Amino acid sequence: MKKLFLTVLGVVVVGAAGTAWIATHTPSSPFDNVTASAPSEDLIARGEYVARLGDCVACHTTPDGKAFAGGLEMGTPLGSIFTTNITPDPETGIGNYSLADFDRALRHGVAADGHRLYPAMPYPSYDKMTDGDIEALYAYFMEGVEPVSQANKPTEIEEPLNMRWPLALWNVVFTEGEVYQAKASEDGMWNRGAYLVQGPGHCGSCHTPRGPAMNEVALDESSPEYLSGALLDGWYAPSLRNDPNIGLGRWSEEDVYAYLKNGRNEHGVVFGSMVEAFNNSTQFMSDDDLMSIAHYLKSLPADPDYDGPVWAYDEATADDLSRDVADKVPGARTYAANCAFCHGRDGLGQNEWIPPLAGVSSMLAPEAESAINVTLNGSPRVIANGVPDSYRMPPYREHLSDAQMAEVLTYARSAWGNHGDAVSEEEVAALRSHTDPASIDVIILQMR
Amino acid sequence: MKLTINNETYDVDADGDTPLLWVIRDNLGMTGTKYGCGLAQCGACSVMVDGVVTRSCVTPIDAVEGQEITTIEAIENDPVGKRVVEKWVEHQVPQCGYCQSGQVMAATALLKEIENPTEDDVEAAMVNLCRCGTYNAIHAAVKDLAEGGAS
Amino acid sequence: MKNLKLSPSQQDQFPTGEPVNISRRRFLLGAAGATTGALVLGFGLPVGKARAQSGGEVTPGTRVPAFLEIRPDNTVRLQSPFVEGGQGVFTAMAQIVGEELDADPKSFVVESAPAGPDYLVINNQMRITGGSMSVRTSYDTMRKLGASARNMLLQAAAIRFDVPLAQLTTEPGYVVNSSTGQKVPFGDLAEDALDLPVPDSEGIKLRDPSTFRWIGKPVDRLDIHDKATGKAIFSIDCAVEGMVHAAVQHAPRLGLGVGNILNETDVSAMKGVMSIHRLPGAVAVVAERWWNAKVAAEALQVEWVKRDEDGSNIRHMPDDFSTVAFSDHLANQTGNGKAGEEEGDVGSAISNAATTVEATYRSQFVHHGQLEPPSALARFNDDGTLDVWMPNQAPEQFQSQIAGMTGLEASQINVHSPMLGGFFGRHFLYPEANPYPQAVQLAKEVGRPVKLIWSREEEFLRDPLRPMAVVKFRGGLDADGMPVGLEAISATEGPTEGIYGHNPDSIDPLALEGLTGKKYAIANRRIAQIYVKTPAMLAYWRSVGHSMNDFFYETFFDELADQGGHDPYELRMQLLQSDERLSNLLRAVGDLSGGWKRGPFTAEDGSQRARGVGMASPFGSESAAIAEVSMQNGDVVVHDVWEAIDPGSIVNPAIIEAQVKSAVALGVSQILMEEAIYENGEPTARNYDLYPILRPDQMPNVHVRIVESGAKMGGIGEPGLPPVLPAIANAVSTLTGQRVRSMPLSNLRFES
Repeated sequence: MKKLFLTVLGVVVVGAAGTAWIATHTPSSPFDNVTASAPSEDLIARGEYVARLGDCVACHTTPDGKAFAGGLEMGTPLGSIFTTNITPDPETGIGNYSLADFDRALRHGVAADGHRLYPAMPYPSYDKMTDGDIEALYAYFMEGVEPVSQANKPTEIEEPLNMRWPLALWNVVFTEGEVYQAKASEDGMWNRGAYLVQGPGHCGSCHTPRGPAMNEVALDESSPEYLSGALLDGWYAPSLRNDPNIGLGRWSEEDVYAYLKNGRNEHGVVFGSMVEAFNNSTQFMSDDDLMSIAHYLKSLPADPDYDGPVWAYDEATADDLSRDVADKVPGARTYAANCAFCHGRDGLGQNEWIPPLAGVSSMLAPEAESAINVTLNGSPRVIANGVPDSYRMPPYREHLSDAQMAEVLTYARSAWGNHGDAVSEEEVAALRSHTDPASIDVIILQMR
Repeated sequence: MKLTINNETYDVDADGDTPLLWVIRDNLGMTGTKYGCGLAQCGACSVMVDGVVTRSCVTPIDAVEGQEITTIEAIENDPVGKRVVEKWVEHQVPQCGYCQSGQVMAATALLKEIENPTEDDVEAAMVNLCRCGTYNAIHAAVKDLAEGGAS
Repeated sequence: MKNLKLSPSQQDQFPTGEPVNISRRRFLLGAAGATTGALVLGFGLPVGKARAQSGGEVTPGTRVPAFLEIRPDNTVRLQSPFVEGGQGVFTAMAQIVGEELDADPKSFVVESAPAGPDYLVINNQMRITGGSMSVRTSYDTMRKLGASARNMLLQAAAIRFDVPLAQLTTEPGYVVNSSTGQKVPFGDLAEDALDLPVPDSEGIKLRDPSTFRWIGKPVDRLDIHDKATGKAIFSIDCAVEGMVHAAVQHAPRLGLGVGNILNETDVSAMKGVMSIHRLPGAVAVVAERWWNAKVAAEALQVEWVKRDEDGSNIRHMPDDFSTVAFSDHLANQTGNGKAGEEEGDVGSAISNAATTVEATYRSQFVHHGQLEPPSALARFNDDGTLDVWMPNQAPEQFQSQIAGMTGLEASQINVHSPMLGGFFGRHFLYPEANPYPQAVQLAKEVGRPVKLIWSREEEFLRDPLRPMAVVKFRGGLDADGMPVGLEAISATEGPTEGIYGHNPDSIDPLALEGLTGKKYAIANRRIAQIYVKTPAMLAYWRSVGHSMNDFFYETFFDELADQGGHDPYELRMQLLQSDERLSNLLRAVGDLSGGWKRGPFTAEDGSQRARGVGMASPFGSESAAIAEVSMQNGDVVVHDVWEAIDPGSIVNPAIIEAQVKSAVALGVSQILMEEAIYENGEPTARNYDLYPILRPDQMPNVHVRIVESGAKMGGIGEPGLPPVLPAIANAVSTLTGQRVRSMPLSNLRFES
C-alpha cells in the first residue's frame, strides 16, 4: 500500500461565502477549442517520454495489473484512495477525454466530470508543463496505451470528509497555475533542468517541505526552502540543494547524473521511495535531460545555518569496531554483527554496489526516518536497465528490537564523523507499527 | 580483474559487482566456501580479507582487488587456522558441516585479532548461523582456544 | 556406470575454460577428501564384483562385496545404506561393521551407497534416511554383514596358508595365525575373500557385546576434519566436465504456469546467458556461471497464468491463502473427529469430574531452513544412462521417480547421494519441491550436464511446510485434583496424508503422534483428528508430529496440574509410577538439573527465572527435558536445558549427545521464533531476514544424560526435540503467570 500525504482534507480551511464559484468553476484550457488531430508516431513517442519524465506509471499501474489501469492503494489518515484507470478505455478510463479535459486533469486537478482530484496527483507541479508536452502526453495516452476495461475503486474516505470541493480552494492558495517560464538570466541547460525538476519530474512532491495544509511550501528556486529536504510517509527525502551534509553539496554534477542514470554512485544507492522514481522514471531520461537536472540542482545554494558543520570522515571509528573495543561502545557490537559485513567497519560501503553510511544524508539529517525505515524494512530492488541489483538491503525488523535498532542507528549516526541526532526506541517503535517490509520481487512496471 | 586468493593471483573474468563467493566457487572451483543465504545473514560464505572475516556473498569482487583473500582451503596454512581446525576436531564440532567452513573462518579471524578473547569477544564474533545447533560445541572449542591462546 | 575418476588429461579440461592449475588443485582437494569425495572426484564405482542393481534375488544387507572394499592399504571402504547429513550415521555404520569385522572405525572410508536392492536394510525391505530409523533398524543386519566379511577373510587366509580355520583369529585389521603369530593385513586377503561365497548370515556368530571395543563408545566421527576444512562435498559442490549452471524463477504460487516472457530477448543478451527455458511452474536460465544464471532468472519478466490440472500432484495455491485465516479456520472446526487412540469413556469421565479444564492450542507452519539450498546435477551419458547428484533421503524412491519421468529403466539411472547440508525431512520426494526434475529437463534440453541451484529465496518459496494444527483439549480432575479424563481433538492434516493423499477410512498416525502414545495413567482418554486439507504443500520435519503434539499435550498437562493443585513434575512422577522406564528417566532429568525446582526464583545474576518440564516418547526412544528461562525486555531467554534420553541401547554416546543438543536447538528455535507466514498465497519471508532461526547467543547450555534401559533400541536424531518445547512453554507460564498455548513465543506479549 502506498501511503501519501493526504492529511490535507481535514486541514483545509474553508472560507465562508464566495467560495462556491471557485469550487464549481471549471478552469479553462488553451485547448478548449482545439480538436486534436491524428497524432504522428513521433508525437506519441515524445508523449511516452513525457510519461517517463512524469513517472505516471509508478502510481497508475500495480505490479500485477495492466499498464495504467490504476488501482494502486494509497493510504491516507482518512482512509485509502485508489489511483485511477488512465488507459483510453472509454467506459472505465479516459478514452472520452478531450485534449482540454486531459489538460485540466493534468495541470489543474479537475476531472472531465468536474470533480476535483486529490493532490496525490501532483498537478501543482504538472501545471508547469508546456502545452507541447501536454499534447504529446495526450497523444501517447490515447494512441500508445492499450485500453483496459477496469472500473475504478471508490475511495474509502468516508463522508463528509470525502467531499472534494474544498480542494478547489486549496488549489487557489497552493498552486501557481502557470506554465514554466524560462529565466533569461540562465542558460538553456539550466532552464531545461529547472523545467524538468519543477514540472514533470515533480521532485518537490517529496523533497520540498510541506506546510500545514500539506502544501509544498515552495515550487521553485526563488525560495530557499525549495527542495531543502522533507519528511514524507516515513521517509526523509533529503535536500537536493548544495548542502554538504543533508544535500548534494559534496556531489559533482556527474555524480548526480550517475545516480539518476544508474541508481547508484560512490555516494549512495537509491533506496526507499526513490527506488520507484529511479526504476520507472529517471533511468529512462536522456543524458542531456539528466545533465540538465544535475546542472540545475547544483545551482541551488546551501543553507549552512541549517546544515551545520560540514561532515568530514573520521578514521578513528573503524578502530572502535575492532574486536577489543566494540563492546564498550553502545551499538558497535550490533553494527559489527549485522551491518559491517556490507557497509564495512569503515562505513564506506563497497564501491558503488553497497552504499556508505559515512557522510550520507540519512545519517546526518536531523530526521532519522529514512535510516530507521530502511533498517526496519529493507529496500525494494533497484532495477537498472532491466537488470536487478546484485545486493539488496534486507529488513532487520525480525532481528533487532526497537532498543537495539535505536542503539545501532545512534551509533552509525555518530560514527565516522557523522553527527546525526540520536535515535530513540520510540521513534523506531512508531515506524515499525505502521510500515511493512519492502518486497523482494523484481518489479518492472510495463508501459506498453 | 586480478584477485589474490590463498597467496595465488588469479585473473578473473567477471563483472565488478559479482559476489566474491561465486567467483571463488564457480570461476576458481574452490567449493569449501558455502552459499547459504546470499544476504549476509548466515555466514556460511565467510572468508578472510586482509585477516578480517568477510561474508563473500555480499562482497563485490571489485572491492577486494589487491587484498589478501584467504579461503577455507588454505586455513591450515595459517598457524592460527591450523589450531582452530585441531580444536574443531578435538571438540567434534561439525554435524552436517555445511556452515563449518564459515565458523572456522570466524574463529580464526577472531583469534588473529585478539589472542585471548573474552567471553564477550567470543559472543560478538561468533555470530554465524548453524541449523544443526552446534553452538555449544563451537563455544567450547573457541573458549578452549581463547584460554590456551591461539598459538 | 562410468568410472567417474578423471584422467590427467581430463583434469586439464576441467572445469571448462579455467586455468590448468586450478582444476588440478580442485581435483586434489576432491581426492584428499576421501570420506566425502566419493562423487565425481573420488574413486570409481562400483564396489566389488557384485553390483548392487544386479537382480531381484537379493537379501538386503547380506552381499558383502556390495558394501565393502578392503584396499591394499588396509582401509575399508563402506557403502552406507544411509545418507550422512550431520547425524553421524557414517561413523555409526563404521563402528557397527568394524566391531564385527574387527577393523578400527578410523580405518573406514564411508560413502552413500548407490540405489539398489542390497541397501534396503530397514527391516530388510526399505531404505530411507529418516524417522530416526537408520541404526536401530539395521543394527543386526550391519553387524552380521561385518561378521560375514570377517569370516570370509578368515576363510581366504585358511586357504592361502593352508591351515584350519580354527587356528586363525583376527585383531583389528589383521588375520592372525594363533599358532605361529603370523599376521596378515586384511588388505592382502581382500581380493581372495571377496571371491568367496558369502556365508549364511543367519548362522554367523556375533561378538559378545561385553567385549565391544567401539560400539557404545564415543568414537570420533570420520567426517570432522573434512568438514572443518571445507573438503566435504555436498550436492551444491558437485561438478562434472562440461557442466553448465542453471537458476530458476518459480511462479509466485504453485499452480501457476509460464505465460508470456516479456523480455526474453533482452535477458538472452545478458552476460553469460546461454539459454532460457520454460519448466512446469518456473522459468530457468542456463549460463556458464551460476551467478549470471541467477541474475538473469530474476530479471525475467514472466506473465504467470493459471496452470491446468496436469496430474502433477501439486496443490494449487489460492491467491487469498493466509496463514492467520487458516489457523482460525482450523480453530473453527467442530465435531469430535476420528479417534486415533481411545481408552475408557472420556465423555462421562469429564462430565462427572470435580473440575474440568478446557483450552485451545495452536501451532504454526515452519520451514526446514537447512543451510544448504537445494541443488541437483544431471548428466545424460553416451551409453543412455543418466547420472543425478542431489540431496535425497531415499535414493530408490528418487530413482524410480526419475525413471517414470524420463522413460529410462531404473537401472539406467545412477543416483548419487552426497553429504546433506542439513535435512530435517527436507529431502524426501515432494512434488515440485525438489530441483532434480528441473535439472534433468534442462540437461536434456541443452545436451550438457546441468547443475541447478535454487537460491534461498526460491527455496523458501517452494519449501513444503511442517503442518499446522489447532488442538482443543478437555480435561477432568477428581476431587483430589488428579486427572481422570483427557480429550484432545486436533484439526490438522498429517504430513503423510498431505503428501500421498487422505484416506477417509484411516488416520495418518503422524498427525497425532505425541498426543497419542502418552504413558500417563489417565483412565479415560480420547485423542482424535478432524481432517482439514491444507492448501499448502506439506512435509516431514524433524520429529514430525511430535514436533508440535508433545508441545500441546505436555503444556496442557501443566494446566491440569495447576488446576488440580499439583506440582507438574510430581504429578508426572505419580502418573508414571507403574512405568519404571519413564519414572527412571524423569528422575534422571531431575537429578541432572540438580533436583527439580520449579520457581520462580532469583538467579545469581539477579534475574527472575523458572523451570518447566516436558516428556515425549518419540521414535522408539524416551526423552524428558527441563528448561530454565527468564524474560529480558519482553523476550523469552532460555538459559539451560537438561535432557535425559533413553534409546534402550546405544552405539555412540558422543554422537547421541551431539544429536540431542542439535534437536534442542531446533526445538528452541521453533518455539521462540519460527513461523512461516503466507499472505495472498505467498510466503512473506523468502530468506533468513524475515524468517529468523536460532542465533548462537540465543542457544541455551544443553546438558545431556543418556539412560540405557536395555529396552529395544530406539531412534536418536529426532527424539531430543519434542520435550524441549513444552519444557520451555511451562517454564514461561510459571515465570509470567500467563499460559502459553501457541507458538512461536515471539508473537506473545508477556506482562511481567
